[in-house]
Amino acid sequence: MAGIDKVDVALSILKIAIVVGALLNVTPIMVWVERRGSALIQDRVGPNRVGPFGLFQSLADAAKFFLKEDIVPAGANKWLYSLAPMFGLIPALTTIAVVPWGRPFRLPSGRLFEPIVADLNVGILLIFALASLSVYGIVTAGWASNNKFSLFGGIRSSAQMISYELALTLSAISVLMAAGSLRLTDVVWKQTGYFVLFDKIKLPAWNVFSPSMWLAFIVFSVAAFAETNRLPFDFAEAEAELVAGYHTEYSSMKFALFFMSEYIAMATISALITTLFLGGWDIPWVNEPATFWGFLASAIVFTIKVSVLMFIFVWVRWTIPRLKYDILMRMGWKVFLPLAFVNILLVAWFIAERWI
Amino acid sequence: MITYAVFFFFAAIAVIFALVVILHRNPVVGALSLVASFFALAVMYVLLEAPFLAALQVIVYAGAIMVLFLFVIMLLNLQRQPEEPTRPIQQFLGYVGSSAFGIGLVYYLSKYAVMELPSGPFLADARAIGVKLFEVYIFPFEAVSILLLAAIVGALVLSGRGVQTS
Repeated sequence: MAGIDKVDVALSILKIAIVVGALLNVTPIMVWVERRGSALIQDRVGPNRVGPFGLFQSLADAAKFFLKEDIVPAGANKWLYSLAPMFGLIPALTTIAVVPWGRPFRLPSGRLFEPIVADLNVGILLIFALASLSVYGIVTAGWASNNKFSLFGGIRSSAQMISYELALTLSAISVLMAAGSLRLTDVVWKQTGYFVLFDKIKLPAWNVFSPSMWLAFIVFSVAAFAETNRLPFDFAEAEAELVAGYHTEYSSMKFALFFMSEYIAMATISALITTLFLGGWDIPWVNEPATFWGFLASAIVFTIKVSVLMFIFVWVRWTIPRLKYDILMRMGWKVFLPLAFVNILLVAWFIAERWI
Repeated sequence: MITYAVFFFFAAIAVIFALVVILHRNPVVGALSLVASFFALAVMYVLLEAPFLAALQVIVYAGAIMVLFLFVIMLLNLQRQPEEPTRPIQQFLGYVGSSAFGIGLVYYLSKYAVMELPSGPFLADARAIGVKLFEVYIFPFEAVSILLLAAIVGALVLSGRGVQTS
């Protein structure tokens, strides 16, 4: 632990404060976007009474959650019932630590400011490690509630997440092979620059435009929906079949924690898709200067990319109906897993031919 | 100093949750405690400057294998197990055997275990492990993969027995 002084500690605390503050604010904003967005898609008005455009509706909802009675069912396992919402929230909150969210720049003192909480050389593995733990929140909640619908939600969710985790990880592996590193800052740096098509058109060198990795992008995005338990893959909840699935018995702030972890997980996976495939903080066709303004512009572009992806999450939820469970499993194992393998072979071929 | 604090904190967590695994009657609580224990073990790898192994420990054991365990426990709906009657001789043999094993383990570990890290740069990143795995340890690596394949095929054959395929 050599070479860490007070400024480093202060900078780390600042970065953590920025990231956690942004993530905690994602939930109220996204709840508003979801409700107004669904209203837009279904040709309704949606909540528009509290504040301008109903923007403060989420604050009112939060106050309501605080005031609700917190009920623990008589047959529930009290400890696990209370711990389960935290199991869900902690992986969702911590995963973002290894995602870079802006161009590094030099402070006036000459110190390099890296806009990432922890630039680990196993960054992506840490993400998968924490993502694989996120299933415990739902499974534990489902079991501890002592309710058959909750239990079904938990069981379904564990099977679904194991299946889609494979596709998710394998499709990310092709990106890592191309970047030659597990460090996410390296992955982003690799994507700055251009592909030149027909000596004329300059495309940003994002992985999604790479001929070897667009397939991985599709697999990863679909698996991301499954990993965050969003429609069309929300089998843990499935309100048409399981009342409310794993959180049927939950009320008050415990329920609010599940809500938060769902939206924070969505934000995290969007940030991950952005970093792996959409160039991270790279501004297309612009060479970001290594100054504070370059950092600010790239951080804003990163936020815009993540926001667009999160809107797509909402858009898909209110457009595509829930699949059947057997179709979900069949797709995971027989379509997306083989596609991910095919993409790994494709990237390996490209690397062997020295095209990337 | 802070390293020692972190070590003893997570070592305590690992041991306590390992004890919960064997002492608690509820299989779900046992499985979740094992996850906590594995997680604390991953912290040990980080302290040994092997973050790659730490991540793999969490992904493979805490993330994949224990989810499957939990899935099976919940699917079979195992509940609190009633204590089965044991004979005195069984208890005696159990206590003696396990304490003899424990004492032997502590004795040999204190005598032969490596107590300090090897000097020089200790490379445990993905590249170093990959090179080792595919050059030095290629035979055991392939042998294990064949073993796992055999296990998968065996499980499929056993589970498919008696099922009429249409």
